[in-house]
Amino acid sequence: MMKRLLTIAGAVMLLLPACKGESGGTDGKNDKGAGAAEAKKETAKDISLGVLADLTGATADVSRPYNEGMLAYIDNLNSSGGVKGRKINAMSEDYAYKVPAAEEKYKKYVQAGVIAIEGWGTGDSEALRGKVKGDQLPFMSASYAEVLTDPAQSPYNFVVAPTYSDQIRVALDRIAAESPNAKVAVFHHDSPFGNAPIEDGEKWVKERGYKLGYKTYAMKTGSTDFVGLLQQAKDQGATFIVTQNVSSPAATVARDLAAQKLNMKMVCLNWCSDELFIKLAGQAAEGHWMVQPFTPPSVPKPGHDTVRAYCKAKNIDLEAKGLHFVQGWYTMHIMAKGLEKTLGDGKELTGTNLRAALETMEAVDTGGVIGPVKFSAESHRGATASGVYKVEGGKMVEVAAAVTPKK
Amino acid sequence: MPSTATGIYHTSYGSELRLRHTHAEKIRLGILVVALAVLPFTLDNYWLSIVNSIGIAAIGAVGLNILVGFTGQISMGQGGFLAVGAFTSALLSSRAGLPVPLSIAAAVMLTASVGVVVGLPALRLRGLYLAIATLASQQIIEFVIRRWRWLTGGQGFLDVPRLRLVGLEIPRAHFELTWYAIILALATLAVLGARNVFRTALGRSFMAVRDHEIAAATMGVHVTRAKLTAFALSSGYVGLAGALTAHYTETVTWERFTIDISVQYLAMIIVGGLGSVAGSVYGAAFLMLLPPVLAELATAVRDKAPFLSEQLPAVQQAAFGLVIILFLLFEPRGLDRSWRRAREYFACWPFRY
Repeated sequence: MMKRLLTIAGAVMLLLPACKGESGGTDGKNDKGAGAAEAKKETAKDISLGVLADLTGATADVSRPYNEGMLAYIDNLNSSGGVKGRKINAMSEDYAYKVPAAEEKYKKYVQAGVIAIEGWGTGDSEALRGKVKGDQLPFMSASYAEVLTDPAQSPYNFVVAPTYSDQIRVALDRIAAESPNAKVAVFHHDSPFGNAPIEDGEKWVKERGYKLGYKTYAMKTGSTDFVGLLQQAKDQGATFIVTQNVSSPAATVARDLAAQKLNMKMVCLNWCSDELFIKLAGQAAEGHWMVQPFTPPSVPKPGHDTVRAYCKAKNIDLEAKGLHFVQGWYTMHIMAKGLEKTLGDGKELTGTNLRAALETMEAVDTGGVIGPVKFSAESHRGATASGVYKVEGGKMVEVAAAVTPKK
Repeated sequence: MPSTATGIYHTSYGSELRLRHTHAEKIRLGILVVALAVLPFTLDNYWLSIVNSIGIAAIGAVGLNILVGFTGQISMGQGGFLAVGAFTSALLSSRAGLPVPLSIAAAVMLTASVGVVVGLPALRLRGLYLAIATLASQQIIEFVIRRWRWLTGGQGFLDVPRLRLVGLEIPRAHFELTWYAIILALATLAVLGARNVFRTALGRSFMAVRDHEIAAATMGVHVTRAKLTAFALSSGYVGLAGALTAHYTETVTWERFTIDISVQYLAMIIVGGLGSVAGSVYGAAFLMLLPPVLAELATAVRDKAPFLSEQLPAVQQAAFGLVIILFLLFEPRGLDRSWRRAREYFACWPFRY
């Protein structure tokens, strides 16, 4: 009996998508897919956007609040009338930081007729780069890899923040100013995201003539301690550990550092420079530095006010959500500004027109949260300035605002 | 006991060796051909892209099944072989300027040779030991493609230009459809090729080695040659799947060829049926469809049961493990056996046997 049931279940599994395809195959626009619920409500005037989120993968700790921030922005925008009276219909799906899954979701969004995509990781943004170009879909991701800023190579990718390379340059400038002969260990996620700024950092040390020792260490995903890597860094004589990883593993490094009583200072870049790092590392986070382009809610800027007002109305604790929520919010804001300009210019909403609008629009002022963000046809590098913070009393304390790599 | 078709009398060896004997088999083949011809026109591009991925996976799964299911050589190196195929074809076509069909052929040859090298330990190792040796090959190949920066020009990934057919780039509008035709043609060749191999002395020697190595040697099977040929043939198939992946997805990145992929392919042939060419195709279809179908189901119940759709990621991960366990428990011979059983059930109906 059981075997027969399994046989039938297997047959149903095989037939299901085919039936599904037939029912929706005649009309690609009126498609199911990511947001079947939204699609039902969708009107012809709605603007469809696709969002790739890592809700369960290696970077889920920071991707979740980022994704929530983007969706919150859209919710807020739609409740105040949308873009020029047109609401944004965003479909957000988890791809678990896996390239094939990202590709599958991407195709789903293309089929659903999205106008642009908000992506997430470096590996998948790079993998989708060619398709995005072919499909002419503006793609803004949370990857700040330098390779995505060059319109000659990636004409439809837009990077809203300083690149990871710019961030490591700021970190190295800071270290060189503090301690010119320091030895620097770069601990990085073992992926395209982690590797993104490695070579540029090394080049920067040479170009600027710094006397810093520079050595890189790959952090294996899923490691529960980094004592071994820290011992190697100790042998190198490292006093600074630049970390290009997400908060959870970075916090483990901080705790291991404290437990080993090693005299090293961490300098976290974008994805571990946040409240979560401090929360997870606890006392061990004290004194470490952070290079972070987006201002955390604990350092109030005028740009935080709208986010805070929305959160208050929706009973969301912004401080608990942290700066990545704000980061998602403002990334979507920049996309919305592009959409607004396209419609404002009286142009039809197509990928090519949106790209042109993003390249020609005025610098977007985010009230001091990041930026101003400005793209051009020659460069899709939206901003170059990051804030530098220090962890003091369990908080991110601003040491310097809007620092750019030394000229 | 399975029922057998009666009333078939062969008067020549040729007729006995035919792939299909009964009318029912021919009718089913006819229906399949019509279904495959109609399929792309009933699906939207998204589902067609999934069908295309299934086609590529099916070629790879047939390859793995030749090695694991038919020859009994367990391999955990699938991801690595796929990578060899993908990188070879991508590099030869984009850097050396070789026409894509030639670069794919070269990728097949090179992957087959790498397969032979990796297969050398198979002459001494069996079972778990061999699995670990092939796992080592997976790790070595992964290490090379991740760390050898020359391969990707320091970028970490390779962009592959859109495929050109008779000098013209595949247009965006017909991208999936064109690839469907290409993949279907190659997958059909791959399946027919594999089916035919197992009607020859070579294919039978593979199975003899699988069933009892010493007995096979006593019967005159050259065990060393059989094992290495199985590795070469299997890797050739996998190389083809890898090369197609490169040109179809237009990007080659190591993230697509990790140990997870090796495990996924093993799952495909377990679920489909070890030692069955058709089973490899069923398994590939089943495992490639599982995630999007679960996502569709979760979307369908999103309004009524938000809790369920929130748990979707966890469900998707658990489903993979659950499917393997259920198959191992209730249908260790895979979907192919289920299909045969269903066929017999209807053939004998209303009698039980």
